Order: sequence, then C-alpha cells, then structure tokens
Amino acid sequence: MMPRMNFKPLGDSALLISFGEVIDEEINDRVHALAGAIEKANFGWLVEVVPAYSSLAVIYDPALTDFDGVRQAIERLEFSAERFEGKLAEIPVLYGGEYGPDLEFVAQYNGLTPEEVIEIHSRPIYRVYFLGFLPGFAYLGGMDGRIATPRLERPRLKVPAGSVGIAGGQTGVYPIESPGGWRIIGRTPLRLFDPEKEPPTLLQPGDRVRFVPIDEGKFNELYAAEWGREDD
Amino acid sequence: MIELLRVPSLVTVQDSGRRGYRRLGVPVSGYMDDYSARIVNYLVGNSGSAPLMEFLLSGPTLKFHSSAVFAVAGDAEVRLNGVPVEPWTSHWAKRGDVLEVGTLRTGVYGYVAFAGGLRCERLLGSCSACPRAGLGRHLMEGDRLPLGAAVLTGRDGRRLPEELRPDYSRGTTEVRVIPGPDTDHFTDRGMETFFGETYTVTPESDRMGYRLEGRAVEHSGKGAGIVTGPLVPGSIQVPADGRPIIMMRDAQTTGGYARIGTVAGPDLRLVAQTRPGRALRFRRVDAESAVEAVRGYRKLLEALQRALGKNGAVYRVRTGGRTFIALTYP
Repeated sequence: MMPRMNFKPLGDSALLISFGEVIDEEINDRVHALAGAIEKANFGWLVEVVPAYSSLAVIYDPALTDFDGVRQAIERLEFSAERFEGKLAEIPVLYGGEYGPDLEFVAQYNGLTPEEVIEIHSRPIYRVYFLGFLPGFAYLGGMDGRIATPRLERPRLKVPAGSVGIAGGQTGVYPIESPGGWRIIGRTPLRLFDPEKEPPTLLQPGDRVRFVPIDEGKFNELYAAEWGREDD
Repeated sequence: MIELLRVPSLVTVQDSGRRGYRRLGVPVSGYMDDYSARIVNYLVGNSGSAPLMEFLLSGPTLKFHSSAVFAVAGDAEVRLNGVPVEPWTSHWAKRGDVLEVGTLRTGVYGYVAFAGGLRCERLLGSCSACPRAGLGRHLMEGDRLPLGAAVLTGRDGRRLPEELRPDYSRGTTEVRVIPGPDTDHFTDRGMETFFGETYTVTPESDRMGYRLEGRAVEHSGKGAGIVTGPLVPGSIQVPADGRPIIMMRDAQTTGGYARIGTVAGPDLRLVAQTRPGRALRFRRVDAESAVEAVRGYRKLLEALQRALGKNGAVYRVRTGGRTFIALTYP
C-alpha cells in the first residue's frame, strides 16, 4: 500500500509533496517517478523539482500560479508507480594508505581486517536516494551495518575531492574539497562534480552505485584522465 | 575593463542565481538583496539580473581601464577620484578614474553595477560565485574584469529618489513567514514563541544561513530531526537547541532539521540586510497572501525598471501629509 501524497507550502514559490517520514526504497522510487512525471509534463510555471528520501519540492513561478494551482495540476498527473531504475555507475576506489587514512580505524572499531572492510564496502549495489549537502553529493542507501563507524570527534578542515567516507550507517563520496567529519577509507579518481560538463554530476537521483577496488597505478592513470587539465 | 585595487571584504560577482540544478545538490546562489541589486542594475540601464559586484560591509576600490557608467547601492560614502558622488545614482567614469566605495553605515550587502554588466564565465547558466560549492571564487586585489558592451550615452545621471532607498536603521525588522511544513515537530507553545518573540542575528551568519539567538523554540515529541528533505532559500530550520537558522541564497538544497516556516520571498532581502546584533520579528502569513505579496513586489520592480531604465521618471507627490511615488514611462 502506497501512502497518499501530502501537499504543504514551502513558502510562496515552492510546495512540498511528502509520502511520509521514512527512508524506504519503494517510497523513494515513487518520489523519483513523480519528479520525472512533473518534469515531463512541461508545466509553464515549473522552475525545478528537488527530490529527497520520501518527499520532493516543486519550485514554481508565483507570477503564473499558486499553491492550489500546483496541487491540482499534480493531483491530475498520471504517473507510473513501477520500479524506478537509474543507471548503474561503477566508482573505482583506491582504499587505505594516504587516501584512506581512517581505514585502519574502521577495521579496528568493527573487529575486522582492512581487507574485510574493503570487501564489505565494495560488495553491495548502493542506491542514490537523492543528491544534496554539496553539488553531486549522493545520499547512498545500502551500506552493510558491519562497517558502520561514528563520525570523527573533530571534523577535518579539508577533505579532498573524491574521498570516500563512512558516517554512522551511511557511506558517501565528497564531490569537492570540503570540511567534513566522515571516516575516510579511500578515494576515487573520478570527478563527481564538474560544472563545465552537462550534466555536471556523475550521479543522478535514482542511480545505482558499485565501488570497485583499484590499485595505485590504475588510480593515477584514471586521475590524470579526469583531472589532468587541472594540473597544468 | 575594471581592475580591483583594494578588496577589504568578501566581494563576489552575483546575478539572479542558478536554475535547474538543485536536484543535483547545486545551491541557487545569486544576490542576497535582490531589490538593491535589481535597482542598481536599472540605474545603469541593465536588466535586473545582469551580473554585478556584491560586497560585504566594506566596498572595493577599483580602477576603470575604459569609459563606463556605474552606480553603487548601499548606505556608504562613494568617491570618484577622491570627490564624493551620490550612491543610488548612475555616474560616468573615464579611463583611469578610481572609484572608492566606503563602509556601509547600515545594512550588510552593497552592490556596484556597470552598464553592460560584468562579463564573466557562466557556470551552469549563472555568473554567481559560490566558492563553498566549487563554483567561482571571491574576488581579489589585482583581478581584472571585462565589462559587457553597452552604449553609455544617456545612461548616467539617473537617480533613485530617497523615499525608494531601503532603510535598514530600524531596531527590529518584521519579516513575513509562511508556517510549515514541519509544524508537527513543534508544540503549540513553540509556535507561539517563534511568532511572538524577537530574535537577534548572530555573527555566525553568512550567504549560507543566518543563525539567530533568542528564546528557544520548543519541539514536540517528534523532535528536531526529520528525514532529510528539501530546503529553499528562506527555509527556517530549528535544530535541537531551539535556535532558528534561516537558510540564505547559498544554502544546501536539503536539510535534516525541522522546518518551522519559510520567509516570504520579498522579505528575504530584509533578513539579508539585518546585521548581527539586530533583531527580527516573524509575522505569520498564509501561502496565498504571500503569493499576492510576491506579485505586488514584482509589479513594483517592473514599474521601477521602466521608469529608471528607459528615461522615464520617478516623481514624489506630497498630499494630505503623505508622500506617494509616481512613476511615468514612455
């Protein structure tokens, strides 16, 4: 049974459609199916749609419509509730060493070897519930609880772009350099956010992700291909 | 071309912001005070969304490497080659002239607009810098910025009447707020506190968010945390300590604290211009009347653009002890 859509104002230029306060794959599918249907409907008043776990914001132009107008248009919209499938993205990761300074800690904390942490982290196919926090930052679902580790007590001032981290039961990749408190277990040479590309992010809401362990040689080769023009 | 000789504070290029990338986590950005930014663009004959320079509290000193028409928005002393000139007025500058913009006496953000706009590299459709999100950077001494091509003749000497200039000297600024969407995360007493008390802006405030100090807003049994959901500029989050945070133009696109309300669009600039130590009071409005307010505000801006931008005129009419603004345009 799917919960009903609940409409609430998010100010005078946006409304929130919520399917309840839950983190649930089927409900997230519903969010992405509805977001896609709204974008496809080409409403003249539509500015953009912002999906999250179990809710989405619809940003509209208040010169052209209002809360009731948007709600009625969306209630009339037909959209499929079938499984939403984005692309499967493989993200190569060099685990441990200087690029993954917290791998040892995550292993010790969970009574595992570093090799076991890598194996457990790179096995599942993760779901991109949505993007937020930073451009291209994916909220991933599906991490194995055996490698869950609390955040750092003192966040680092600089976490390099591409760093792969764990915070509690979540895992994620920093798309750009940023302060942060996640336990960093590795780094990907891929660029997750490049404002000069279209689309600018490697991942899109609803995609699937698999982490693939690589060695330093492969990392350097991919890094040069992705970031080369930054280094001249 | 202009060259920055002195940059005493945070100075960025801004326009009306980014559209269409929030689903990828990209903040909206754009000028913090859209009234001041649009008006000063109109004064130099630009569209309201032309890229201009935004400064925090203290203005830059810059040198013109070609003739230009400029205008400054803000309650600051402005000097051209050492001679005071009026803000909120468009002026002609020759090659070699030096413009010094002083420190704002009231308000937080000021603007310098140039006829033709600043020419800049667009990232994701906008010139607005948001360094935190990897988009653009703060301007530095020595930066040279090209100006867009524009016919300068007739663009100088346009002036915004004093009555239409923003006044940020009030002790407490009233801001309209549309409640929700997470009102069930607050007790009735918490809602009454939020809409009844005044809140002071703290120094931990920037283009991302304004943190407020004041009586703690009480959460209901559902607590301060929500399943992470969308935010918009103007969203007011209340973390567990009960102190509201107003999300501003560079805010992240999603957040995990209960959203007690959203600042009405036309009032977000009033928040932006409220200095640390000054107070805000929130007035409850419904979404319908807030939409009406947005439409009225847009009409005012359109009328001002016609009057200021195309040789129209703004008149003051005094009658019955009250002053009215009359706009004429061709």
